[in-house]
Amino acid sequence: MATIDLFQLREHFNESRILLCFNGPISRSLIEEIGNALKNYLQADNAQPSAAMDVFSVYVELTQNIRHYALAHDYDELQGSATVVVARDEDGRYLVQAGNMVEHADGEALLARISALARMDKAELKAAYKAQLRQPRAEDAITGAGLGLIDVARKSARPLRASLSRIGARHAFFSLCATI
Amino acid sequence: MNDLDIPASQSTPYVSTRWEAGLVSMTGDSYPENSFEFFRDVIAWIEAYLAQGDMPLRLELRLVYMNTSSVKAMMDIFDLLEAAHAKGRPVRVDWFYDPRNERVVDLADEFREDCSFPFEIAPDGR
Repeated sequence: MATIDLFQLREHFNESRILLCFNGPISRSLIEEIGNALKNYLQADNAQPSAAMDVFSVYVELTQNIRHYALAHDYDELQGSATVVVARDEDGRYLVQAGNMVEHADGEALLARISALARMDKAELKAAYKAQLRQPRAEDAITGAGLGLIDVARKSARPLRASLSRIGARHAFFSLCATI
Repeated sequence: MNDLDIPASQSTPYVSTRWEAGLVSMTGDSYPENSFEFFRDVIAWIEAYLAQGDMPLRLELRLVYMNTSSVKAMMDIFDLLEAAHAKGRPVRVDWFYDPRNERVVDLADEFREDCSFPFEIAPDGR
Protein backbone atom coordinates (compact mmCIF):
# COMPACT_ATOMS: atom_id res chain seq x y z
CA MET A 1 0.00 0.00 0.00
CA ALA A 2 1.33 3.41 -0.92
CA THR A 3 1.78 5.80 1.97
CA ILE A 4 -0.23 8.98 1.85
CA ASP A 5 1.88 11.96 0.89
CA LEU A 6 1.17 14.19 3.90
CA PHE A 7 3.29 17.00 2.52
CA GLN A 8 1.24 17.10 -0.67
CA LEU A 9 -1.96 16.97 1.36
CA ARG A 10 -0.71 19.84 3.53
CA GLU A 11 0.22 21.89 0.45
CA HIS A 12 -3.27 21.33 -0.90
CA PHE A 13 -4.84 22.44 2.40
CA ASN A 14 -2.67 25.53 2.47
CA GLU A 15 -3.32 26.47 -1.15
CA SER A 16 -7.05 26.08 -0.60
CA ARG A 17 -6.79 28.12 2.66
CA ILE A 18 -8.50 25.32 4.60
CA LEU A 19 -8.81 26.18 8.31
CA LEU A 20 -10.42 22.97 9.36
CA CYS A 21 -11.54 19.77 7.74
CA PHE A 22 -13.07 16.52 8.85
CA ASN A 23 -14.02 13.31 7.09
CA GLY A 24 -15.57 10.35 8.83
CA PRO A 25 -18.33 9.09 11.13
CA ILE A 26 -19.74 11.94 13.18
CA SER A 27 -21.34 11.85 16.64
CA ARG A 28 -23.15 14.37 18.80
CA SER A 29 -20.05 14.92 20.94
CA LEU A 30 -17.77 15.14 17.91
CA ILE A 31 -19.94 17.93 16.47
CA GLU A 32 -19.48 19.79 19.76
CA GLU A 33 -15.72 19.16 19.93
CA ILE A 34 -15.04 20.18 16.33
CA GLY A 35 -17.34 23.17 16.89
CA ASN A 36 -15.18 24.16 19.84
CA ALA A 37 -12.03 23.88 17.76
CA LEU A 38 -13.72 25.92 15.03
CA LYS A 39 -14.59 28.69 17.53
CA ASN A 40 -10.95 28.80 18.66
CA TYR A 41 -9.59 28.87 15.10
CA LEU A 42 -11.95 31.70 14.19
CA GLN A 43 -10.85 33.68 17.23
CA ALA A 44 -7.19 33.08 16.34
CA ASP A 45 -8.01 34.11 12.76
CA ASN A 46 -9.35 37.44 14.14
CA ALA A 47 -12.81 36.86 12.70
CA GLN A 48 -15.46 39.46 13.58
CA PRO A 49 -17.66 38.10 16.41
CA SER A 50 -20.72 38.22 14.13
CA ALA A 51 -18.92 36.39 11.29
CA ALA A 52 -17.55 33.82 13.74
CA MET A 53 -21.06 33.19 15.04
CA ASP A 54 -22.46 32.83 11.51
CA VAL A 55 -19.75 30.34 10.54
CA PHE A 56 -20.35 28.36 13.73
CA SER A 57 -24.09 28.47 13.18
CA VAL A 58 -23.87 27.20 9.57
CA TYR A 59 -21.47 24.46 10.70
CA VAL A 60 -23.90 23.31 13.43
CA GLU A 61 -26.98 23.33 11.18
CA LEU A 62 -25.26 21.42 8.37
CA THR A 63 -23.63 18.79 10.58
CA GLN A 64 -26.77 18.26 12.68
CA ASN A 65 -28.76 17.89 9.44
CA ILE A 66 -26.32 15.15 8.38
CA ARG A 67 -26.73 13.40 11.76
CA HIS A 68 -30.53 13.58 11.65
CA TYR A 69 -30.58 12.31 8.07
CA ALA A 70 -28.30 9.36 8.85
CA LEU A 71 -30.38 8.46 11.95
CA ALA A 72 -33.67 8.75 10.07
CA HIS A 73 -32.36 6.38 7.37
CA ASP A 74 -30.76 3.88 9.74
CA TYR A 75 -27.40 4.43 8.11
CA ASP A 76 -24.43 2.76 9.78
CA GLU A 77 -21.51 4.87 10.99
CA LEU A 78 -19.68 4.79 7.68
CA GLN A 79 -22.75 5.54 5.56
CA GLY A 80 -23.54 8.44 7.88
CA SER A 81 -20.05 9.90 7.53
CA ALA A 82 -19.75 13.63 7.11
CA THR A 83 -17.20 15.56 5.10
CA VAL A 84 -16.78 19.08 6.45
CA VAL A 85 -14.45 21.85 5.28
CA VAL A 86 -14.12 25.41 6.55
CA ALA A 87 -11.88 27.56 4.36
CA ARG A 88 -11.31 31.16 3.28
CA ASP A 89 -11.82 32.26 -0.31
CA GLU A 90 -9.75 34.79 -2.31
CA ASP A 91 -11.81 37.67 -0.90
CA GLY A 92 -11.22 36.59 2.70
CA ARG A 93 -14.75 35.30 3.14
CA TYR A 94 -15.35 32.06 5.00
CA LEU A 95 -16.61 29.04 3.08
CA VAL A 96 -18.44 26.38 5.06
CA GLN A 97 -18.90 23.18 3.09
CA ALA A 98 -20.49 19.97 4.25
CA GLY A 99 -21.40 16.79 2.44
CA ASN A 100 -22.82 13.35 3.10
CA MET A 101 -24.26 10.32 1.39
CA VAL A 102 -27.99 10.48 0.65
CA GLU A 103 -30.61 8.47 -1.24
CA HIS A 104 -30.37 9.68 -4.82
CA ALA A 105 -34.00 10.83 -4.96
CA ASP A 106 -33.53 12.86 -1.75
CA GLY A 107 -30.42 14.42 -3.26
CA GLU A 108 -32.40 15.56 -6.31
CA ALA A 109 -35.09 17.05 -4.05
CA LEU A 110 -32.41 18.84 -2.01
CA LEU A 111 -30.84 20.31 -5.16
CA ALA A 112 -34.25 21.67 -6.20
CA ARG A 113 -34.79 23.12 -2.71
CA ILE A 114 -31.34 24.77 -2.68
CA SER A 115 -31.84 26.33 -6.10
CA ALA A 116 -35.24 27.69 -4.96
CA LEU A 117 -33.56 29.20 -1.87
CA ALA A 118 -30.70 30.57 -3.99
CA ARG A 119 -33.18 32.56 -6.07
CA MET A 120 -34.72 34.30 -3.03
CA ASP A 121 -33.55 37.68 -1.75
CA LYS A 122 -33.04 38.42 1.96
CA ALA A 123 -36.64 39.57 2.51
CA GLU A 124 -38.07 36.47 0.81
CA LEU A 125 -35.78 34.22 2.83
CA LYS A 126 -36.91 35.89 6.06
CA ALA A 127 -40.58 35.40 5.08
CA ALA A 128 -39.88 31.72 4.25
CA TYR A 129 -38.10 31.30 7.59
CA LYS A 130 -40.98 32.80 9.56
CA ALA A 131 -43.54 30.72 7.64
CA GLN A 132 -41.54 27.55 8.34
CA LEU A 133 -41.23 28.50 12.02
CA ARG A 134 -45.04 28.59 12.17
CA GLN A 135 -45.50 25.16 10.56
CA PRO A 136 -46.98 22.71 13.06
CA ARG A 137 -44.50 20.06 14.07
CA ALA A 138 -45.08 16.32 13.81
CA GLU A 139 -45.42 14.70 17.25
CA ASP A 140 -42.24 12.67 16.92
CA ALA A 141 -40.17 15.29 15.11
CA ILE A 142 -36.97 16.25 16.88
CA THR A 143 -35.39 18.51 14.31
CA GLY A 144 -35.96 22.13 13.40
CA ALA A 145 -38.31 20.78 10.74
CA GLY A 146 -36.77 22.32 7.64
CA LEU A 147 -35.71 25.58 9.25
CA GLY A 148 -32.01 24.71 9.06
CA LEU A 149 -31.46 25.12 5.32
CA ILE A 150 -33.39 28.40 5.22
CA ASP A 151 -31.31 29.66 8.14
CA VAL A 152 -28.09 28.68 6.35
CA ALA A 153 -29.30 30.45 3.17
CA ARG A 154 -30.07 33.57 5.21
CA LYS A 155 -26.58 33.65 6.70
CA SER A 156 -24.83 33.05 3.38
CA ALA A 157 -23.53 36.23 1.72
CA ARG A 158 -23.73 34.52 -1.68
CA PRO A 159 -26.38 32.12 -3.00
CA LEU A 160 -25.88 28.58 -1.68
CA ARG A 161 -24.12 26.18 -4.03
CA ALA A 162 -24.91 22.48 -4.03
CA SER A 163 -23.84 19.46 -6.03
CA LEU A 164 -24.71 15.79 -6.28
CA SER A 165 -22.33 12.98 -7.29
CA ARG A 166 -23.70 9.50 -7.90
CA ILE A 167 -22.54 6.60 -5.73
CA GLY A 168 -23.86 3.34 -7.21
CA ALA A 169 -27.49 2.89 -8.22
CA ARG A 170 -29.31 4.22 -5.16
CA HIS A 171 -27.04 6.69 -3.45
CA ALA A 172 -25.30 9.98 -4.12
CA PHE A 173 -22.95 12.34 -2.32
CA PHE A 174 -24.68 15.64 -1.58
CA SER A 175 -22.49 18.66 -0.97
CA LEU A 176 -23.47 22.17 0.08
CA CYS A 177 -21.42 25.35 0.34
CA ALA A 178 -22.30 28.57 2.18
CA THR A 179 -20.26 31.79 2.09
CA ILE A 180 -19.95 33.98 5.18
CA MET B 1 -44.31 22.00 40.91
CA ASN B 2 -40.58 21.59 41.54
CA ASP B 3 -38.27 24.33 40.41
CA LEU B 4 -35.69 23.50 37.75
CA ASP B 5 -31.96 24.02 38.15
CA ILE B 6 -30.25 22.61 35.07
CA PRO B 7 -26.50 23.29 34.82
CA ALA B 8 -25.13 24.41 31.47
CA SER B 9 -23.40 21.94 29.15
CA GLN B 10 -21.38 22.52 25.99
CA SER B 11 -24.55 22.65 23.89
CA THR B 12 -27.28 23.51 26.40
CA PRO B 13 -27.89 26.65 28.49
CA TYR B 14 -28.13 27.03 32.25
CA VAL B 15 -31.82 26.97 33.15
CA SER B 16 -33.40 27.90 36.45
CA THR B 17 -36.99 28.51 37.49
CA ARG B 18 -38.25 30.24 40.65
CA TRP B 19 -41.95 29.59 41.25
CA GLU B 20 -42.22 32.02 44.21
CA ALA B 21 -40.59 34.83 42.22
CA GLY B 22 -42.31 34.00 38.90
CA LEU B 23 -38.93 33.93 37.20
CA VAL B 24 -37.34 31.75 34.51
CA SER B 25 -33.66 32.32 33.65
CA MET B 26 -31.69 30.85 30.75
CA THR B 27 -28.04 31.61 30.07
CA GLY B 28 -25.59 30.38 27.41
CA ASP B 29 -25.60 28.60 24.06
CA SER B 30 -28.39 26.29 22.98
CA TYR B 31 -27.75 23.80 20.19
CA PRO B 32 -28.65 20.32 21.44
CA GLU B 33 -29.43 17.73 18.77
CA ASN B 34 -32.82 17.15 20.31
CA SER B 35 -34.03 20.56 21.44
CA PHE B 36 -37.58 19.47 22.18
CA GLU B 37 -36.39 16.90 24.66
CA PHE B 38 -34.22 19.52 26.32
CA PHE B 39 -36.93 22.21 26.50
CA ARG B 40 -39.78 19.83 27.43
CA ASP B 41 -39.38 20.36 31.19
CA VAL B 42 -39.09 24.14 30.85
CA ILE B 43 -42.23 24.24 28.71
CA ALA B 44 -44.09 22.01 31.21
CA TRP B 45 -43.02 24.27 34.10
CA ILE B 46 -44.19 27.43 32.31
CA GLU B 47 -47.50 25.78 31.35
CA ALA B 48 -48.09 24.73 34.97
CA TYR B 49 -47.14 28.17 36.30
CA LEU B 50 -49.44 29.99 33.88
CA ALA B 51 -52.30 27.55 34.51
CA GLN B 52 -52.67 28.71 38.13
CA GLY B 53 -53.13 32.03 39.94
CA ASP B 54 -52.51 35.44 38.48
CA MET B 55 -48.89 36.09 39.50
CA PRO B 56 -46.65 37.70 36.86
CA LEU B 57 -44.06 35.70 34.93
CA ARG B 58 -40.72 37.08 33.77
CA LEU B 59 -38.16 35.40 31.52
CA GLU B 60 -34.60 36.63 32.00
CA LEU B 61 -32.58 35.45 29.02
CA ARG B 62 -28.86 35.62 28.32
CA LEU B 63 -28.94 33.21 25.41
CA VAL B 64 -26.18 33.68 22.86
CA TYR B 65 -26.26 31.13 20.04
CA MET B 66 -29.33 29.02 19.28
CA ASN B 67 -29.68 26.36 16.58
CA THR B 68 -32.90 26.35 14.58
CA SER B 69 -34.54 23.58 16.60
CA SER B 70 -33.90 25.60 19.79
CA VAL B 71 -35.42 28.62 18.06
CA LYS B 72 -38.52 26.57 17.29
CA ALA B 73 -38.78 25.37 20.91
CA MET B 74 -38.33 28.95 22.16
CA MET B 75 -41.13 30.07 19.84
CA ASP B 76 -43.38 27.53 21.57
CA ILE B 77 -42.47 29.15 24.91
CA PHE B 78 -43.20 32.66 23.62
CA ASP B 79 -46.54 31.40 22.24
CA LEU B 80 -47.48 30.32 25.79
CA LEU B 81 -46.61 33.80 27.06
CA GLU B 82 -48.55 35.41 24.23
CA ALA B 83 -51.66 33.38 25.07
CA ALA B 84 -51.36 34.30 28.78
CA HIS B 85 -50.84 37.96 27.88
CA ALA B 86 -54.02 37.89 25.76
CA LYS B 87 -55.91 36.77 28.88
CA GLY B 88 -54.51 39.69 30.87
CA ARG B 89 -51.72 37.87 32.72
CA PRO B 90 -48.65 40.07 33.29
CA VAL B 91 -45.75 38.43 31.41
CA ARG B 92 -42.50 39.86 30.12
CA VAL B 93 -39.16 38.94 28.58
CA ASP B 94 -35.83 40.64 29.31
CA TRP B 95 -33.12 39.51 26.91
CA PHE B 96 -29.62 40.71 27.81
CA TYR B 97 -26.73 40.57 25.33
CA ASP B 98 -23.01 41.18 25.18
CA PRO B 99 -22.65 44.46 23.21
CA ARG B 100 -19.70 42.98 21.28
CA ASN B 101 -21.97 40.47 19.57
CA GLU B 102 -24.70 42.11 17.49
CA ARG B 103 -26.02 38.76 16.20
CA VAL B 104 -27.76 38.20 19.54
CA VAL B 105 -29.78 41.38 18.98
CA ASP B 106 -30.85 40.11 15.53
CA LEU B 107 -31.91 36.80 17.07
CA ALA B 108 -33.87 38.38 19.94
CA ASP B 109 -35.40 41.01 17.68
CA GLU B 110 -36.89 38.42 15.32
CA PHE B 111 -38.63 36.80 18.26
CA ARG B 112 -39.87 40.15 19.52
CA GLU B 113 -41.50 40.89 16.12
CA ASP B 114 -44.00 38.11 16.81
CA CYS B 115 -44.77 39.04 20.44
CA SER B 116 -47.11 41.75 21.74
CA PHE B 117 -46.21 41.45 25.45
CA PRO B 118 -43.39 43.59 26.95
CA PHE B 119 -40.09 42.34 25.47
CA GLU B 120 -36.90 44.24 26.28
CA ILE B 121 -33.55 43.67 24.56
CA ALA B 122 -30.75 45.38 26.47
CA PRO B 123 -26.94 45.33 26.70
CA ASP B 124 -25.82 43.33 29.70
CA GLY B 125 -24.62 45.65 32.42
CA ARG B 126 -23.77 43.10 35.04
